[in-house]
Amino acid sequence: MIPFDWVEPASLKEAVSLLDADDSTVRPISGGTALMLMMKPGFFVPSRLVSLAKIEADYSSIRAGGDGSLRVGAMTSLAELERSAAAIVNFPVMKGALQTLSNIRVRNVARVGGALAHGDPHMDLPPLFATLGARVSVVGPDGTRDIAVEDLYLGYYQTVLKNNELIAEAIVPPLNGARAAYKKITSRSADDWPALNMGVRLEMADANTIKAARVVLGAASERVTRLAQTESLLTGAIVNDGLLKRVSESAAAEARFVSDAHGSAAYKRELLRVYLPRTIKEALS
Amino acid sequence: MSETRTIRFTLNGRPASAAIQSHHNLVELLHQLGLFGARESCGQGLCGCCTVLVDDVAVSGCLYLALGVNGKSVTTIEHLDESGTLSPVQQAFIEAGAFQCGFCTPGFVLMTHQLLKQNPDPSEDEIRHYLAGNLCRCAAYPEIVEAVRLAARTMKQARA
Amino acid sequence: MTEMGRSLPRLEARSKVTGRADYVHNMRVPGMLHAKIFRSTIAHGRILSIDTSAAREMEGVHSVLTGEDITRVMAKPYFGPAFHDQAILALEKVHFIGEPVAVVLADDPHVAAEAAKLILADYEELEAVFDEVEAVTSKAIVHDELKPAGTFADLKHLAGRRNTNVTLDYQLRRGDVEKAFAECDHVFEHTFRTQQVLHVPLESHASLAIPGHDSLVIHTSTQTPSFVRTEIARLLGWADNRVSVQVPFLGGGFGAKVYVKMEALAAALALLVKRPVKIALTMEEQFYTISKHATTFRIKSGVSKDGRIVARACDVWWNGGAYADIGPRVAQKTGFTAAGPYDIENVRIESTEVYTNRPPAGALRGFGVPQLVWAYESHTDMIARALGMDTVEFRRKNILREGRPQATGTAMRDAAIDKVLDCVAERMNWTAPFDRGAGAIKRGRGVGIGFKASISPTTSGAIVNISADGSIVLYTNTIDMGQGSDTGMAQLAAEVLNVPAESIKVVHGNTDVAPYDMGTLGSRSTFHMGNAVKLAAEDAKAKLAALAAEVGLPEGTNYDVKEIFRKRYGMQAGNVVGVGTYVPRYTPPDPKTGQSDNVTPFWMIGGTGAEVEVDTETGHVRVIRLVNVADAGKPINPKICRTQLSGGAIMQLGFTLTEDMVFDGGQVTNPSFADYKIPGFRDVPVMESELVTATQETGPFGAKGIGESSTFGVSPAIANAIEDAVGVRITELPIRPEAVLRALRAAEGRPLEAV
Repeated sequence: MIPFDWVEPASLKEAVSLLDADDSTVRPISGGTALMLMMKPGFFVPSRLVSLAKIEADYSSIRAGGDGSLRVGAMTSLAELERSAAAIVNFPVMKGALQTLSNIRVRNVARVGGALAHGDPHMDLPPLFATLGARVSVVGPDGTRDIAVEDLYLGYYQTVLKNNELIAEAIVPPLNGARAAYKKITSRSADDWPALNMGVRLEMADANTIKAARVVLGAASERVTRLAQTESLLTGAIVNDGLLKRVSESAAAEARFVSDAHGSAAYKRELLRVYLPRTIKEALS
Repeated sequence: MSETRTIRFTLNGRPASAAIQSHHNLVELLHQLGLFGARESCGQGLCGCCTVLVDDVAVSGCLYLALGVNGKSVTTIEHLDESGTLSPVQQAFIEAGAFQCGFCTPGFVLMTHQLLKQNPDPSEDEIRHYLAGNLCRCAAYPEIVEAVRLAARTMKQARA
Repeated sequence: MTEMGRSLPRLEARSKVTGRADYVHNMRVPGMLHAKIFRSTIAHGRILSIDTSAAREMEGVHSVLTGEDITRVMAKPYFGPAFHDQAILALEKVHFIGEPVAVVLADDPHVAAEAAKLILADYEELEAVFDEVEAVTSKAIVHDELKPAGTFADLKHLAGRRNTNVTLDYQLRRGDVEKAFAECDHVFEHTFRTQQVLHVPLESHASLAIPGHDSLVIHTSTQTPSFVRTEIARLLGWADNRVSVQVPFLGGGFGAKVYVKMEALAAALALLVKRPVKIALTMEEQFYTISKHATTFRIKSGVSKDGRIVARACDVWWNGGAYADIGPRVAQKTGFTAAGPYDIENVRIESTEVYTNRPPAGALRGFGVPQLVWAYESHTDMIARALGMDTVEFRRKNILREGRPQATGTAMRDAAIDKVLDCVAERMNWTAPFDRGAGAIKRGRGVGIGFKASISPTTSGAIVNISADGSIVLYTNTIDMGQGSDTGMAQLAAEVLNVPAESIKVVHGNTDVAPYDMGTLGSRSTFHMGNAVKLAAEDAKAKLAALAAEVGLPEGTNYDVKEIFRKRYGMQAGNVVGVGTYVPRYTPPDPKTGQSDNVTPFWMIGGTGAEVEVDTETGHVRVIRLVNVADAGKPINPKICRTQLSGGAIMQLGFTLTEDMVFDGGQVTNPSFADYKIPGFRDVPVMESELVTATQETGPFGAKGIGESSTFGVSPAIANAIEDAVGVRITELPIRPEAVLRALRAAEGRPLEAV
């Protein structure tokens, strides 16, 4: 690595002002675990890093809304989120999912905002939050905008965020009795980037009838994807083996897959076919 | 841009300062100060050989910019026996024979300290999960589980 | 007799748990420069030009050096233990992607690394070959001429040849295989493959060379200090004693650090710039340094209707990569045992090692034997199943028993193959009913057993020095890379000298003071160095007794050692030095038939039983239990032996399920732990390790080496368990879920699409 300029603004606003809309070598750094992985081999050579470590403490807090929603400051570490009673009581799916998304030291350091903004399709936090219908509030020089997590991603390491925009917080809407499950499937060692990850969130009309569904897929292609056709097939349907079979086929047909070191596209499709019913069953169990 | 900066922090309980460059990581900082128990191996935060505690939280020193410890408290493996006595975890690692080459051992020892502080009586599954981010190529994994359990027992007895 | 069988903790335990153990990784000296390597980006080509100008101009760069510069201090800068095929920095040609081509020196390693990125090389690309079977007949010739090194006694037969990629073709003939195939009841033939993998010790290779006026000190992470000294001295045209090789602890070795790796480059650079130079490789660079042979093994067996193996033909091709390293010895020594631990009258073996344009392959824990056992124990299982016989019973019926001649004609001695197999079966509760699983998850179990000949003829020397206060220093060039050799050797000396092992100081890895040792490799140290240490201790003991007699102390009395010295020298002065050198007998195999009455001083035996769960819908295999049994003779330190057993088995578990160097046109595409997955905590099953009751009559107090034995049976035991669970046979490593699912779906007649 070569030296770079390092600044530690005291506020989010100041941080935004230190970024440069037209210069991608100026970047914000929160936990820095993912960024360091790009800097060490020279994939990213910064001219200036804008550290968010000293911005307002407010952005490191987790707050539960009276309605069961959750506001997660962007500078919250993944470990703080996983240990947060508000998070895991209101969203039981979070605990298990967060514990397997990387090792504990990375979780101690990596921040929620960074994990959402990075755009690596193999990360778990984006599909997990997209499954739960989370939105992020994004601050730029011209103000704040609100984006659904699944709409953040354009492609491989590409997001809709401008160079001088920062995620300030994530808002997870209340579960309101909906059931959610999340699975990370590896194909090499147990602790690895996923071959596929997927989440489902099901609002139930009664014990067997689905009122609304979200189905989100990660690691299959170059970005996190919601499976809209599969969701509509689930909506209003009664859960039985026949439905699970149809849903599984629908998802396999709908999703796009890219072959990589974790498996061929054909294999990943098969994993989706098998694991989607398993994930739905887990959500409903 | 290549100018050095001086950072001030607490190192193993004592005030410390060092002149560093922006691109240096925490392992390089410690080596500069003559502490070699944290070592860079995989360079990707996956093996745990570079484990260091910053404000009592375990981090991968190889992915942590040295600048980031400015004003913070850094604890390394060298702190554990400064009194001249091994910690119960270190003692348990010896008794259980929980290492071979020893290169990864400081990382495992520090992580075990963190685990037992958060969870004084972990199950085998909890031990494996917590330590899953530390790799041992000699693969003394069964002995490490034994060492963690042994340390948990010793510490429990000491509390009683 | 209190030290043998005593499980005392490692002598250096405290320094390791406190992070204070010394590794070359930690070392730095004043004035030291850091070297960073610029590597070839093509698999095979002639160097047209190297442009180092931009790198030289970078601020902070001390110098940039190429292969031509090296010739100023080493006129013929080629090295290697078998062939002198490795240029210190590439000259004329490059042979693989990752080959060192130039070096940048700087005070700051970051500067050196950045400057190395600015070097440009221009090549005329040549046709490359990557496959070990194709390389035998390929028009792409990796090295223009083969130059045998002539260093090792057991490799004297290597020939200098042109226009071939074959480094060694070993052959063995016993009985009449073709006749037996024609006459037997059943013939089975299968082909198995293994992938290229590597050692990845967590301490990557590091060497620090410090030049003196007419001498050189090299602190280095080597398993073979004596060889390094001799090879560097040869390259320099110096007497050996001008080169000092010093080795602290190693952060793992596993065969990655045998012979010369970074030492020659560090030495040449230090002499060129007259400053200390340190080369510390990154994890990525290990992928361009040394690896384990990929193999293809075609095996054919003739079997009688009552289940006796009467003939076996083995054709093994070893993918040596671009430098022979020690590959020819791998091909030869494994040739001895390629037919497996079975009593077979008619055997034909061809073992061929070839150059290819991949990163070089050498020795890795098991020295080629795990690749063989993968094939012959999978094959053996398949035969038993085809005959409808129990797979353990079939093995029992054919196993080599004590005293019977093995394929080379050497009679088996102190080889507890039967006991190891019985112990695995007993631990697995083999004859009891077994839970086969439910739903999508099916369960199965399997065994694998293998054996290995030691490396011979090789020499070890040791010195035991008793000071006038009675305290003892043991000098040995056996390197402690985690296997516990310092502790084991101290126990052996302590056993002879009747003192606690903890009281002995072990000085290891220093060619200035410790005698010659062939190397810490191939599980040879306990036997060879162990015998040398025992001899040295006995020599010291005898000399002490002579000294006692000289000063008039009556024989057999319990005298104080201090008293002897005081009586002899009038004060606390003097010392007794015991010396031991051990070299076992060896008969080289006949070049045409591979026959010999003594191919090895001892046999290593290891067996594994595996229980697995297979998800029939996804192909995921979960190993739930691994039982590893070995013959250690009489173990010196049973606790350390068991840790070695489970450690070796877990390493082989990685080679079986997850580890794989993936190539794209000769480029490794996964040179990091993010994508090259070694086993972690959540991959490790329930491990059971057991040593059978045995003795190695020729070993020190009955002991023998064990560092590799548990690697033998792991891969086939798992593949055999998978077939047991779900009825499909995997013949290529690694066994990834996709391969299992593809096999399952093919068997169901609804194959998965190709991509």
